[in-house]
Amino acid sequence: MTDAKLIHSISTRPQSLFDRVCNPTAGYCETFTSPASPRKHWQSIMQALEAMGPDYLKEQQLRAMRRRHEDGATFNPFEDPSEKTSTWALDLFPLPLTSEEWHTIESGILQRVNLLEKILADVYGPQELLKNGQIPAELIFANPNFLRPCHGITPAGNRFLSFYAADLYRDTNGEFKVYRDYGSQPAGLGYALENRIVISRIFSDLYHTTQIRRLAPFFHTLHTSILERNGLTDKDPGIVLLSPGPESRTYFEHALLSRYLGYPLVEGQDLTVRNGRVFLKKLAGLEPVEALFRQVADNVSDPFALRRQTADGVAGLVQAAREGSIDIINPLGSGFIDTPVLSTFLPSLCQLLRGEELLLKEDPSWWCGTADGRNHVLANMTALLVEQALDRSAKYPDIHDLQAAITSAPHCFMARQPIIPSNSPVWNDGVISGQSTLLRVFVCATADGFTVMPGGLAITADDINTLVGDSPERQQSKDVWILSDLPVEPFSMLAGLKTAAEFNRSSDLPSRVADNMLWLGRYLERAEGQIRLLRSIFKRLSGEARLQDIPELKFLLRLLNAISPASGEIDDETIPPYKELMSSLHNALYTRENPASVVAILWKVQEAARNVRDRLSLDCWRVVNHLEYSLASPTADPLELLEDTLYNLSAFSGLAMESMTRGLGWRFMDMGRRLERAMFHTSILNVGLPMVCDESRSALEALLEVSDSIMTYRARYRTTFQLAPVLDLLIVDETNPKSLAFQFSQLAEHVEHLPRQQRRRFSSLEERLALEMLTAARLLDLTDMNCGYNSTTHTHLTDFLLSMEKVLLDFTQQITAHYLSRVPTTPHFSTYNSIGGE
Amino acid sequence: MKYRVTHTTTYSYSEPASLSQNELYLLPKETPWQKVSDSAVTVTPEPAYHNFYNDYFGNCVRAFMIQHPHSHLVVTAVSTVLTMPPQAPPSETTPPWETVARQLFDHHTPADLEACQFRFVSPLTMITPAVEGYARISFPSGRPILAGAIDLMQRIFTEFTYDKDATTIDTSVDQVLVDRKGVCQDFAHLAISCLRSLGLAARYVSGYLETLPPPGKQKLAGADASHAWLSIYIPNIGWVDLDPTNNIIPGEQHITLAWGRDYGDVTPVKGVVMGGGVHSMSVMVDVSRIEEDTISPGK
Repeated sequence: MTDAKLIHSISTRPQSLFDRVCNPTAGYCETFTSPASPRKHWQSIMQALEAMGPDYLKEQQLRAMRRRHEDGATFNPFEDPSEKTSTWALDLFPLPLTSEEWHTIESGILQRVNLLEKILADVYGPQELLKNGQIPAELIFANPNFLRPCHGITPAGNRFLSFYAADLYRDTNGEFKVYRDYGSQPAGLGYALENRIVISRIFSDLYHTTQIRRLAPFFHTLHTSILERNGLTDKDPGIVLLSPGPESRTYFEHALLSRYLGYPLVEGQDLTVRNGRVFLKKLAGLEPVEALFRQVADNVSDPFALRRQTADGVAGLVQAAREGSIDIINPLGSGFIDTPVLSTFLPSLCQLLRGEELLLKEDPSWWCGTADGRNHVLANMTALLVEQALDRSAKYPDIHDLQAAITSAPHCFMARQPIIPSNSPVWNDGVISGQSTLLRVFVCATADGFTVMPGGLAITADDINTLVGDSPERQQSKDVWILSDLPVEPFSMLAGLKTAAEFNRSSDLPSRVADNMLWLGRYLERAEGQIRLLRSIFKRLSGEARLQDIPELKFLLRLLNAISPASGEIDDETIPPYKELMSSLHNALYTRENPASVVAILWKVQEAARNVRDRLSLDCWRVVNHLEYSLASPTADPLELLEDTLYNLSAFSGLAMESMTRGLGWRFMDMGRRLERAMFHTSILNVGLPMVCDESRSALEALLEVSDSIMTYRARYRTTFQLAPVLDLLIVDETNPKSLAFQFSQLAEHVEHLPRQQRRRFSSLEERLALEMLTAARLLDLTDMNCGYNSTTHTHLTDFLLSMEKVLLDFTQQITAHYLSRVPTTPHFSTYNSIGGE
Repeated sequence: MKYRVTHTTTYSYSEPASLSQNELYLLPKETPWQKVSDSAVTVTPEPAYHNFYNDYFGNCVRAFMIQHPHSHLVVTAVSTVLTMPPQAPPSETTPPWETVARQLFDHHTPADLEACQFRFVSPLTMITPAVEGYARISFPSGRPILAGAIDLMQRIFTEFTYDKDATTIDTSVDQVLVDRKGVCQDFAHLAISCLRSLGLAARYVSGYLETLPPPGKQKLAGADASHAWLSIYIPNIGWVDLDPTNNIIPGEQHITLAWGRDYGDVTPVKGVVMGGGVHSMSVMVDVSRIEEDTISPGK
């Protein structure tokens, strides 16, 4: 801010903190009527703040920031913690409004929300307004906010708008006007709540001596209305809060609302639709969902019915809504009221539908869909702000093409006069400045109408473009104090905070989290196995021996071909020339497009880790990031690189195992490791068995090396490599943590501890499969195992390995089908293999 | 003409699919020139849930869900349909296209208003200067609307190559216009985009076309295919179909399934599957003529 814009000095009065608040040439001043006289409802607040003095206020500002940081609001925990991003940073000073001012707002908003709900009921029902020409055809037919699949759906309780927000501003005369309506996904309620919690603590004396209306009753009404509308009881009502997940910039708000209202925080993948009903997937089974408080935009709420490419929604949600089996707050399709140009029709629609004048006015605007509007806009383009009329998110044309764009699709554009919002004081590190201000108010449906939250989120910014723009990170926010003439009933904020909102982690876990843990374990182990094998190969190649003179090379290459099929062009019968071989190995190591390459697997590790980042320690996370460095330089010596990566992976595993409680999350991750290791071992044994008995026994040694059991073998047998003891160590020795039997016994133990319906042991298929594998390994007789002749023991072993491969697959599928959700969804589309023109 | 249409879509999955949700636009529409005497869809495996509803465009949609692991999904729709030759007006007698555009803009009658929803750009159509430029060649000022539309259809037919491998469902109209290649839905989307760029109303029609074997050869069962064309609105007359893939005004050999703004609104089989790994799909369509007297009573 430039000083010229701010300064407003009054020589006759002693220096005050608030002297620089209002620029007399700009908008309405919230604080003063004229330079020296503060507005009445500000006087006591200003006095109190002045009395605190700048130093104390600075201290309080730090306190507020710290508090919000601890609550998780100041940065998205999933961003880099060093880079602080803050959505709607909190300003220390509240914005007070008198009870008269609030009365004006409240009655205006109540009228407006009633009107908007009537319009929605018509648009998604009989469409009389369209048929009678009271709303133009473009507003329905050319409007992406009108969701055709939702037409004809009657929402729960016949409420077409159960949650609503509007942005208001004060014009230069101090009159409140509407800037924007929100139906699709009204945001900011959680921030308003957080601001109140923080500010009422920081200024607790001031807060308690001033009669300020409480916010808590609004949340209580919101909750009881959902219960009543759906005939639910307060005990375990089956209401969830749907969030797009940690990537969302308002994720903090979702987490806070979830905790405060006691609704489990879920993502699209946590829900599923069966028989036209919505269910929450938990490890122990499906739980019916009766109501969904949606924090996901309505047009992406159902990837099946609405938009193809989206991960945020729930496939089948529209069908569930059509069945009337769920109360979605807001109903799908309510984003129709976000259509910018709709507001220009509200004055006449209000007359028509309510027989009264619209109370909250707007500054004039013009729609280019009519000839008059278009002509006016084209003639006054420099003085007006041209905006999208239908789809606010549509790409705004380049300024040079604007006129052409308007002419070619006039109905897509509108224009309004630039608004001049009011100024309110913002405390910024010892200085108070006046900033442009919007007031966001929130409304929820009640049994017989609506109620407006007495408060809201005041949004401020230094310039109007930032203020009305869509970047909450660049805006600040304030607590809004609605002053009351009557004593305020005490209503504790914290009484509302429920503790059991999150999933009860010790006994149950969202399937999505368990799934990611399982895959994290699998990819980690897969990477390790692959790296160990490649390391063994590179180690041999780096020596001085000619390729033909390395007897076990063929053996190792065959193992590689079996484990990593995409690099399978390597000829393991006649070893290819050095250069060719190196290029194939390079591919197995670096080629990201090859899904079996080490690099590709490490990417998968990172991806899985990212999805459970909130369950990993920061140290673990650093190690994961470090994996990237080690693979960023493909010119480095492959052997060093493999060693380095293996070291990092071990560090990660160690840290993860150390820092995790032995809950279900850990169980799934370890189960993933065991599964993958068992698969790796059966597969290399299967492929390698016919080759291990070559003369030099070097293949046996290599087998032990790849299985990471060579030290154990040497320590135990102190002898040359012989088939029977090697196989015993790798397959049946349950004390060797790398043996197959050990993996099976761990798997058996894990499945025994998974949540299940029946308490009887071995009642589930996965338990029986795990037991089958363990028993088979224990009963395997290897005593006659010898090199030299093809005994029946050999056949037994091969049968055993083949059958274990199959059971492991069944086991994995069973775990996935029983507990997990991250089965990828694929769209089906019929295409036209149509008849030709010829 | 009386037809029995059999449309079989088979999906095979490399891994079991645990959950499958689908919507079918496979039940033929009743229109003034098409009567449906019976129509049924069978799904294997047996769906756990199914439901019928009418969509915003008046098409009958069948939705179903399969909720247990399965490795195949077979959807078969069998319908018996009687088609009659539609009555297209002589093209030179239709009003000038500008008059129609004006009338649609004003939409004073319910029919005009209804048609209005097909006047705007939709997700799979585009209005760009190139599209409008291509359209304008067929629509000099004052030309009767149907004459212009037939000319546009003929130009698409002669200037574009039918090529099954040139496009996917995601290929955009402007790309098709550059490459001059595509399949029936690309040609329909292009023609619709052209007409809408002039302020006219055009809708996408999904259906079938009876194919006749080369002279002297036996017709192969299952050799037919689903097809797509478009329809243009002329006030006081109604909708007139145009098939740019074959350069004809559809007659008795075209069987209408559903219509919408574009392919996305009326995709014959649309679904999402959980799991399933890689899936392969095969479609068999058979449109066979049946003699009136071979139809058993009651059908």
